Amino acid sequence: MEDGRKQTIANLLKDIERYNPENLPTLECYVEHQCRENTYDLEANLAVLKLYQLNPQRYNIGIICQILLKALTNLPHTDFVLCKCLLNAKHLEESLVKQIMQLADVLERCDFREFWARIHTPEFADNVVHITGFHDSIRKYVCHVVGITFQTVDKTLLAGLLGGVDDQTLKQWVKKYGWKEEANGIIFVANQDENIKTKNITEKIDFENAAAIMAASQ
Amino acid sequence: MYGNDDYVDQAPYDMNGYMSPADHEALEGHDDAGYEQPMYTNIPDGVKKFLVYLRDCINEGVVYEISNLYETTFPRLTEQYFENVPWPEVSEIKNLVNCDPVFLILYRELYYRHIYAHIPHGPTLMQRFDSYATYCELFNYIINASEPVPLDLPDIWLWELIDEFVYQYQSFSQYRANLMKRTPEELELLNQNNQVWNVLCVLNVLCSLVEKSNIKRQLEVHASGGDAESVAGEFGRYPLYKKLGYFSLVGLLRLHSLCGDYYLAIRVLDNIELHRKSQFSYVPACQITVSYYVGFAYMMMRRYSDAIRTFTSILLYIQRTKQLFQTRSYQNDQINKQTDRMYHLLAICLVLHPQYVDEAIQQVLREKNYHEKMYKMQCGDLAEFEACFAFACPKFLAPAPPVDAPVEDYVKEPINHQIRVFMDEVKQQKMIPTIRSYLKLYTTLPLAKLAMFLSSESHRHGEAVKSRDLNEAIEGLITQLLCFKHKMKNIVWTKGTSGLDGIFQSGSELDFYMDNDMIHIADTTVSHRYADFFIRKILKFQELNRKLHMIKF
Repeated sequence: MEDGRKQTIANLLKDIERYNPENLPTLECYVEHQCRENTYDLEANLAVLKLYQLNPQRYNIGIICQILLKALTNLPHTDFVLCKCLLNAKHLEESLVKQIMQLADVLERCDFREFWARIHTPEFADNVVHITGFHDSIRKYVCHVVGITFQTVDKTLLAGLLGGVDDQTLKQWVKKYGWKEEANGIIFVANQDENIKTKNITEKIDFENAAAIMAASQ
Repeated sequence: MYGNDDYVDQAPYDMNGYMSPADHEALEGHDDAGYEQPMYTNIPDGVKKFLVYLRDCINEGVVYEISNLYETTFPRLTEQYFENVPWPEVSEIKNLVNCDPVFLILYRELYYRHIYAHIPHGPTLMQRFDSYATYCELFNYIINASEPVPLDLPDIWLWELIDEFVYQYQSFSQYRANLMKRTPEELELLNQNNQVWNVLCVLNVLCSLVEKSNIKRQLEVHASGGDAESVAGEFGRYPLYKKLGYFSLVGLLRLHSLCGDYYLAIRVLDNIELHRKSQFSYVPACQITVSYYVGFAYMMMRRYSDAIRTFTSILLYIQRTKQLFQTRSYQNDQINKQTDRMYHLLAICLVLHPQYVDEAIQQVLREKNYHEKMYKMQCGDLAEFEACFAFACPKFLAPAPPVDAPVEDYVKEPINHQIRVFMDEVKQQKMIPTIRSYLKLYTTLPLAKLAMFLSSESHRHGEAVKSRDLNEAIEGLITQLLCFKHKMKNIVWTKGTSGLDGIFQSGSELDFYMDNDMIHIADTTVSHRYADFFIRKILKFQELNRKLHMIKF
């Protein structure tokens, strides 16, 4: 079912058909479908923004906001930037778009405490509620950043970054990422010292490079 | 697929219907108003001979000779007779070439291209319209043919044809967007002819050429090691279609980039081996254009490693083959400009994402004014970032013209938007260079100590840092360190047929991790490289030696 839909959409994105504004209703429905079903299709969403760009009178601010929020769920990928580049100054003046931009900025700065404080304000809570799995998508992103930064991390700090989750939920996230709780409220994340090492780049000469010279100087 | 599109009121481009007859009359009427009528009632003999000879060569398909006439004779005659005035009009030379229809379209295209490049104040509105009509006729002739047309042109001509087509679209949309500078008559004409130079038409032409040539399938088969010819089809087998198809992909890359659609820009190049010299095109200008737009798109996607790799490899190529370009001055100008832009972009990328690059490139960045600019950016000078970006970025445009909008200048809007997106990114990363400069001094550093350093930097006037402030500072620092790691961990292309593919890597030279409240730092040291330098010098001497031996007294 899901695959079938994806295929139908993919056909609408082929070649010149991609620019056909008559496809907008179908594609807009598909954006809403993604929000409901917690699926994601960047290419289709970018195509919607592209159609808005080509037909400025047909843009739908609600859909734009949904696309932007969905792009945030795919952090650490830079989907949000790609979407932002297709908007224009007029879109950015819309108050909800403005707020989403600030939200994205907070997330990109990894200021997760600030993010959780903002997301619980009424104007956001109402919008985010339509995006299934929004909070957990952000937690995945938090775990990604924690996973690349820490060898061990303080448990309270981690719970804070994940939005003040309770002990039970914290344990689930720790388990999901294969981290381990140690004594003294410390969580072991990964052996970073294996990957993050001081490197020396020394000169290496390929045989191919030197072969020609050696052959010529005989 | 094209010509009968049902989703626009008027077919976006079609052979006869692009303008009503009335517009044609208007066009004739306006023709002499735009510029001074030049003084050549008698066309110089050299020019006459050239035109006849060029027509003969095209009809006989002598590509080598056409190439020579196109690249050398045409610019020379331009310099000699038509420095600031247009070439003779089509009506003046028609009889000279026996009204050869295909030659006349090709000539008309060159005629307008020359006006765009050489005539002060640029083309008039009518000239822009007619130039568009010329492209319609030319592309209809090629695309609508039921069998491949008997036309063979050198690669460079075909590339410049597509490149110019996109350029003229870009130029038109800027002309169109500046409502302040348009007279009421011009505005009326523009509004009546919204289908002329419409973005859909341009997309349609490029997509049709891609489709007709089966170039995507050819590239796919080629990338997987097969014989592209086997899937080329009736049209794609011919160099004319194959090359136009390939160059159209590059045209699309450029067009999508100009609209800020970086995802699609890179997507159209699927199956083209970006990191290698193309088998389909030996046109340096095309290769350089590809690298410029691909590198730029990567930079905007925060794929700095990919951007740096793309820029350095083309800049090295330009450095090493520079002598080849010098003979062709008109291409040289363009290449020099793009080279300078790419050094600026590379400088930006290297400030945001320091990493080792080839010695020969570093040499250039150390010289000239790049060094100072990089230094300023490293110190967090936002104005410098913006200036470098604005200088080096493509000339963005809004694909939909302003309709029923207040009379204003809309040209700058799309550029300002992209600047804004980029500057938002730079601001998010503002603290990273400072943090990096501290980390560089240590192999391990307690969180609290770094927090002290950073807060003493912001309280320079010797106020003691209170312990409550310190806790806050540590909290803030953890955020900044997370941000550092996040921004320096980017998708990097490793393998696969799409430039969009890749895996997360930390490619920057300085990296670290946190073990609870201790920062462990890993730096990269690069030892000097000599081999490349010596290999090149040895080759040079060998060549010199060989030449000396050949000299006979």
